[in-house]
Amino acid sequence: MSGQAAETQAQRESAGTQGLERTLAYARAAVRIVSVPVTVFLIATFATYALGALGGANPAAEVLGQDATPAAIARLDHQFGLDRPFLVQYFTWLGHALTGNLGKSYFTSIPVSTSVGQALPVDASIAVLALCFAVLIGGGAGIAAALRQGSRLDRAVTLICSGVATVPPFIVGIALIVVFAVFLKVLPSGGYVGLTADPGQWLRFALLPGLALSAEGAAAIARQLRTSLVGALRENYVLGAAARGLPARRVLFRHVLRNAAGPALTVLGLEIPNLIGGAVVAEKIFALPGVAQLALQAGTEHDIPVIQGTLLVTIGVVLISNIAVNLALVAVNPQGRRGTRTVRPQAAARGAAAQPTAGAVA
Amino acid sequence: MSTLTSTPETRSPGSPGSGPGRSGRATPARRAGILRRALRLRSTQIALGILGVIAILALFGGALAPDNPLAQNTGAVLQGPGGAHWLGTDYLGRDVLSRLMAGTGRSVVGALEAVAVGLVAGVAPGLASLWLGRTFEWIALRIVDAFMTLPYVVFAVAVTGIFGNSLNTAMLAVGALIAPRYFRIARAAALGLTRAQYVEAAELFGASRRRILRTHVWGKILPTIAVTTAQALATALLIVSSLAFLGLGVEPPLPTWGELLSSDLDYLAQQPWAPLVPGLLIMITAGALNALADAIRDSGAVLQFDDTALDTAPDAAPDDPEPLAADRSAYGVL
Repeated sequence: MSGQAAETQAQRESAGTQGLERTLAYARAAVRIVSVPVTVFLIATFATYALGALGGANPAAEVLGQDATPAAIARLDHQFGLDRPFLVQYFTWLGHALTGNLGKSYFTSIPVSTSVGQALPVDASIAVLALCFAVLIGGGAGIAAALRQGSRLDRAVTLICSGVATVPPFIVGIALIVVFAVFLKVLPSGGYVGLTADPGQWLRFALLPGLALSAEGAAAIARQLRTSLVGALRENYVLGAAARGLPARRVLFRHVLRNAAGPALTVLGLEIPNLIGGAVVAEKIFALPGVAQLALQAGTEHDIPVIQGTLLVTIGVVLISNIAVNLALVAVNPQGRRGTRTVRPQAAARGAAAQPTAGAVA
Repeated sequence: MSTLTSTPETRSPGSPGSGPGRSGRATPARRAGILRRALRLRSTQIALGILGVIAILALFGGALAPDNPLAQNTGAVLQGPGGAHWLGTDYLGRDVLSRLMAGTGRSVVGALEAVAVGLVAGVAPGLASLWLGRTFEWIALRIVDAFMTLPYVVFAVAVTGIFGNSLNTAMLAVGALIAPRYFRIARAAALGLTRAQYVEAAELFGASRRRILRTHVWGKILPTIAVTTAQALATALLIVSSLAFLGLGVEPPLPTWGELLSSDLDYLAQQPWAPLVPGLLIMITAGALNALADAIRDSGAVLQFDDTALDTAPDAAPDDPEPLAADRSAYGVL
């Protein structure tokens, strides 16, 4: 369908059909937003499961020790389901995983979902705190730098941002411990209290890891936001809004930021795997009982179901956050919003014209 | 239709063709001039100087060390900097300066190994994805997307947990995750070239794919690959240190920079300044690599390509280039 044909067609159609077409376009967009992550999920989980199989570890022999008879090993293999074809094993594992059953640890027989379920809230709550810090600090610095472009503040933000990129995440953590726990003695150097158990105590323990984790994301957001804001502030609509007498604050937050937030959001999406990777190191520095400690412990014992379970949960978290970022991108994109309020034939046609090619990719 | 003009739907339809206009200039002689110009920059000289020192330390650090990096001295544990031990001693009384110097080799080799794996496993399929047809392209892009979702450290923890903890295993795992970054960079850099008229002309003259790749594509994407490599080395160094910090890829009692930091962590109350030196060493090395990457990029030898072709993926809606195309630096991918 060419854009022009769709345009004339759209102009001829009644508002009702346009509504239907718009719904269809949104449905297709939704399918596209979901279908890529689903494919990616299948490939990544397959790789995860294949890794465990490729490892060549013989869990039955390891669990039973040196004196195991071949018959006992075969029995345990059967119990673990390791005597079935590989693909059958994978799909069984994935099916169980999707219903919340990640198997049992070879050694402790504790369900993996239980141990991951205990560890995940630690990382999740700290990662969310870090994300908030990153958006607040990075967003604030980026906006301030863009508004005072070329000033000393702008140069300082740029300098700090490029500096942070060369700092390993754990250095920030160690520095924070040295300052706040060793010298000032105002915050604990490590440990953890659950958020639900005692929110005040949780914050005391989560503050330093959250700050340490946020550094990289904050720098990325600040840099990206500054660049896109500087570009957006030069646009004619900013001048137009100012000429119409809109207050600067309103122009910034309602007009410019909405247009400039896209790239920063994308960068935020790219930062999420880094954030999770950083959480692993933060767990070690701040002695947090998180998923990575679980994986590291399992690694020393070759406890494959636990390792696979933690990797699977990580993949799931990254993909869900990516979908969330994509949805947020759609939400802030003015093009999409315009489509939802007043139907403009051009916009609808453009959307329709873009669909077939995108469908072929996704 | 020629096989070289690869499938149209991956060319983000709305994006203005960045075109290979700028790229047509980098003849070998010209490139040498560009390199010389980059070398004249003060920042490049400083960066190269630092990297030279690091290279010497990596090669001969163990031999140059003033003390035996493994010799324990229970009589002199956790000493501050002084005449006998310039940077003090650790919790086993080992000389910190010697351990830093001797540990350089393993830290640097680890990073080099991971980047080499990524380079080989990423660039070739990245270029191939432009020529080997849609099926290969689609599968390759999905695999790349899948690997991009995995955090380096978590993946390395899992891989070493399954295959056993050694520096090689850990670095192979990191290399496997660096490869998709190379894939995207190589693919995006070469994408514009496949549309270039001189490539089409060469094709019409009956040049083989190999010849086109070698004479028309490879030389042009090389500076881009060089920038990526410098940045990837910096990233890999940070990851190697993070992993060593977690005890992965460490073979005690052999020192690495990350391992030094992790042993400092337990004695922060006694020696709060101890992480400063290994931390600074990592930062300076990574900073020098990044400065080098910037210098190569600014020298003008690097293709300007629009990375909306990077496409796809959980982080970018494929048919919606407008909000994403703006200001996304192709080099921010790593």
